[in-house]
Amino acid sequence: MTHKLSRRDMLKGTAAGAVGLVAGLTPAMAPAQDAVQIRWSQNEERWTPVVNNFNEMADTPVEIEFLSITGIDHEEVASKILSLLAAGQPLDAGYAATEATVLYAGQGVATSLTDRVKDNADELAEYFSDMAPILPEVMMWEGDLYQLPDGCNAPNMYFNLNVLELAGLEVPPADWTKDDFHEYAVATTNAGGQETFGYAWTNRLWGSWGPWYFVNDSNFLTEERAPGGEWLWETFYADNDTVAHRGGGWRWPEPSANHPNTVEALEYVTSLVAEGISPGIEMGGGSSLQGLYVTDKLAMTPAGGFWAGGLINAGMEKGTFDVQFWPQWKSQRHQLGVGGNWIFTGSPNPDVMWEILKFSVKREQMLSLKDRYRPLMRTTPVRRSMASDESYEPSGPANWHVFYDTLDRQDTGPIPAPPEANAVTNIHTRFTGLAVSGEMSPQEAMDQAQAELVALFARTRG
Amino acid sequence: MSGTTTTTVQERHTVNPLDRPWGRWIQMAFLFFIGLLTLMPLLWVISTSFRTLRDSFTVPPVWIHFDFDFSNYQSVFDTIPFLNMLRNSFAYAGGAVLGGAVTSALAGYAFARLQFRGRDVLFWVVLSTMMVPGQMTIIPVYILMGVKYLNLVNTLWSLIIPSIFTAFGIFLLRQYFRQVPGDYEESALIDGANQWQIFRRIYLPLAAPGIAILSILTFNSRWNDYFTPLVFINSQQAMPITMGIVELQGEWSTGSIAVVFAGIVLSVIPVIVVYIFGQRYLLEGLMMGGIKG
Amino acid sequence: MASETLATRERRGSLLGWFRADTFEGVRRQRAILGYLFLLPAFIGLVAFVVGPMFVSFGLSFYRWNIFKPPDPIGIANFQRLLTDSRLPGIYGNTMLLVVGTVVITQVLAIALALGVTQLRSRKFAYFLRTAWFLPVLMSGAAVGVTLSYLFQREFGPINYYLGVLGIDRIPWMTSASTVMYTIIITAVWKNLGFIFVIYLGGVVSLPQEILDAADVDGAHGWRRLWTVTLPLISPIMLFATVINVIGAMQIFDEPQIMTRGGPGDGSRTAVMYMYEVAFKEQEFGYGSAIAVTLFIAILIVTGIQFALSRRWVFYG
Repeated sequence: MTHKLSRRDMLKGTAAGAVGLVAGLTPAMAPAQDAVQIRWSQNEERWTPVVNNFNEMADTPVEIEFLSITGIDHEEVASKILSLLAAGQPLDAGYAATEATVLYAGQGVATSLTDRVKDNADELAEYFSDMAPILPEVMMWEGDLYQLPDGCNAPNMYFNLNVLELAGLEVPPADWTKDDFHEYAVATTNAGGQETFGYAWTNRLWGSWGPWYFVNDSNFLTEERAPGGEWLWETFYADNDTVAHRGGGWRWPEPSANHPNTVEALEYVTSLVAEGISPGIEMGGGSSLQGLYVTDKLAMTPAGGFWAGGLINAGMEKGTFDVQFWPQWKSQRHQLGVGGNWIFTGSPNPDVMWEILKFSVKREQMLSLKDRYRPLMRTTPVRRSMASDESYEPSGPANWHVFYDTLDRQDTGPIPAPPEANAVTNIHTRFTGLAVSGEMSPQEAMDQAQAELVALFARTRG
Repeated sequence: MSGTTTTTVQERHTVNPLDRPWGRWIQMAFLFFIGLLTLMPLLWVISTSFRTLRDSFTVPPVWIHFDFDFSNYQSVFDTIPFLNMLRNSFAYAGGAVLGGAVTSALAGYAFARLQFRGRDVLFWVVLSTMMVPGQMTIIPVYILMGVKYLNLVNTLWSLIIPSIFTAFGIFLLRQYFRQVPGDYEESALIDGANQWQIFRRIYLPLAAPGIAILSILTFNSRWNDYFTPLVFINSQQAMPITMGIVELQGEWSTGSIAVVFAGIVLSVIPVIVVYIFGQRYLLEGLMMGGIKG
Repeated sequence: MASETLATRERRGSLLGWFRADTFEGVRRQRAILGYLFLLPAFIGLVAFVVGPMFVSFGLSFYRWNIFKPPDPIGIANFQRLLTDSRLPGIYGNTMLLVVGTVVITQVLAIALALGVTQLRSRKFAYFLRTAWFLPVLMSGAAVGVTLSYLFQREFGPINYYLGVLGIDRIPWMTSASTVMYTIIITAVWKNLGFIFVIYLGGVVSLPQEILDAADVDGAHGWRRLWTVTLPLISPIMLFATVINVIGAMQIFDEPQIMTRGGPGDGSRTAVMYMYEVAFKEQEFGYGSAIAVTLFIAILIVTGIQFALSRRWVFYG
């Protein structure tokens, strides 16, 4: 008898579950295969307005199947795209930042846009003329252009003005030096009797301690400009006298992790941790760092234009933070990452996709991207005209012009991102972690990083 | 055994140190302490989710101060299609529970109570599937789900179908079926029950607690699965809530952590409800079941 | 015997007769057929979605494959590389430490909790505790990682604050390669304790009370009763709980991935994280598969040992 009772309960539960299941499944059950023409791995919500606008003016409207990639992390995005490619799923376009641009270009996954850009030179002239030349240059690989720049970020120094005030300091001038920085860092550590830190950063490739080896006239890998690219410079920047030294993208021929200047930069940031000026350096996305910053426990940190809107979103008030160039050391060279869309080599509809891309870089289309430049600036715009008093009005910072001025500095260059960028990032963060946590001396750490990089390049390039 | 009187048992019991007052207090304090440790982080998440980020990281930590600032919760609904994602998660987890219970009960019973050639080898094959990290098989499975074969990519079926075949469930229920004393079966045979009836009427009800536990654990693991949807699901329409939580963190982690915590709280409520319901069923099933009788 | 069976079959003249239960042989056959039928659904699914893909992946370990270009057969070069990979010993050391630490602590605590909570007189208190212990299980690995990384934060995290109240110096939970693995162990125990507890609870609650009473009568109380009666009675569940716990601990991925990304250095990198990193981040699917093979074999050996030893201590009623 008792058995029957419990069985009935179970059946009841099963039936309820089954009904719920069927109700839950129906809307998302059928594969979306009706009349899909374009498969684009991009943020659906952000890009839908642009696609709608495109359809209004296009002769043949497109239907986009967005392959949404959620993931704050580069590796999550990469595993998604890699799975798509491995499964042979048709794909038309995707999105990549500097870390992956050269990977997709070098592996022949992304198709060169050079001929298409040349054929549409008149239409695109306005776009390129509104853009610092470094941006398309970073999107080139061996003389060909692979992506139309869409957003970029160069690490500048962010100041929490509340903490600066505790130390009686103001935002330094543009030509400040590493010594000035050090004074600031010391003064803002435990400022005004409160527990504060002068400086902190997150262990990753972009904006980690990279800005320090850049200003120390060094890099994690040696770099050189690839030949080529004259077609771009002659077509779009003929009257710009600053492009003479530019080429066809970057190459990173050799590791230089244990170059004395690189080691010196690591020694400097490690000493800041040892002296208690920096908290323990964590791996990852930097969310706890943002927490420290927003709650006025941290004075200075490297971040790009994306942080302006980000900090407001996280509850910081306008006017309580500001930015400045990275301090001078042996140089004042800044590093940079650029993002943009690329077209898949095996795309079934490359022509349509190109029309969409070309359309999407028009000024008004960029502005209609949801939550990108309006209401808050969530990245540094690639168009000079979009970095304005008006656009930074809701978020600040007061020195917003630093973001775009960094792109106009003639020596600004990309983060070290060869085709092996993912493996390089891993070696970079791993040995950085060992050095800043005191398990290895900076010299030891960089010697071992160098050895691993040499072995890596031997495997991939040998 | 039948000769023992209740009083003797009672007397003997008092010898147990845990029955002495101080022993019981120490025991209760220990159990409560562990409860505190498991409870506190969640309490902290809840309390932080009701404050603005600027008030999140106070030292000393604040546990029960609520500003009742619901803006973080509002942001969750503004940023992601929360209810739709919730429904997708329910379908995924519910489908996995129903399918998993059926296949696991059948196979678990076969391994525990039936004799056939190759049983032990087959059991090891099943067991070995547990030892393969999901990260390694995801690409072949994805190819199988793709256009060329099943054409289920970007549907909830692509999540549900692979998760109803679980070595974990088979193994769990095998152990439960094995724990049941063998004399039940003999008496059923004498009563003229056939083999299906023995399974259906005798063993299945006795394994109800095991099925309840399996259901809770399966529901929970699928509800919290992030990796499979990350690869198989492409559209917001079919995304489960775990992907929504990640979206709340924002590109470059520029989302507010307080909003993320609000999302975590909202997404954990349904599983808590399922657990509370399942727990009740689990204990009632045990009390009503035949094991003690 | 054989001729009799044959005769019976001929007499009934149908295949159905072969399954009839009125002979010992018939019952045995029925049970065998039922066994195969019951296994069929699970087996088809597991072959399609796990065993098949597993063989594909293992086959890949003899190739160099970066997804972008067709796989290139390279024989056993990936396995030779395993032998010279200087990161592998440390990573397996981490994995072993994680498994031993997590499993020992979790098992002892989970058994203690299951036995303790069933002895409580207050049902409400027991209900509260069961729910409290299970709460971490309800959170996703990613949510646990995000939450605990705030709690473990060295400078402003609540954990170091309370340790400071007790006079203990700040511990670099996530930022020192020599302590980070213990942080991951604590996290894994915290997350999985309720899971293992519930499995034991099912076993403990269904213990036949007469046997326990009888043990008391025979003079076995307290610890002795625990060792000689209670634990043997729940030993099938113990085998399950330890095997599951070991396999789970060897595959922990989400929490360290979110909290530390395997760092500092390789301080908190486990075998499965390394495999994922090599395959997905560095696009070396062949070498990643070779690492997966080692992990599979390691789990197989450990589980095999557990089952072999279980013959000595697991008691089936």
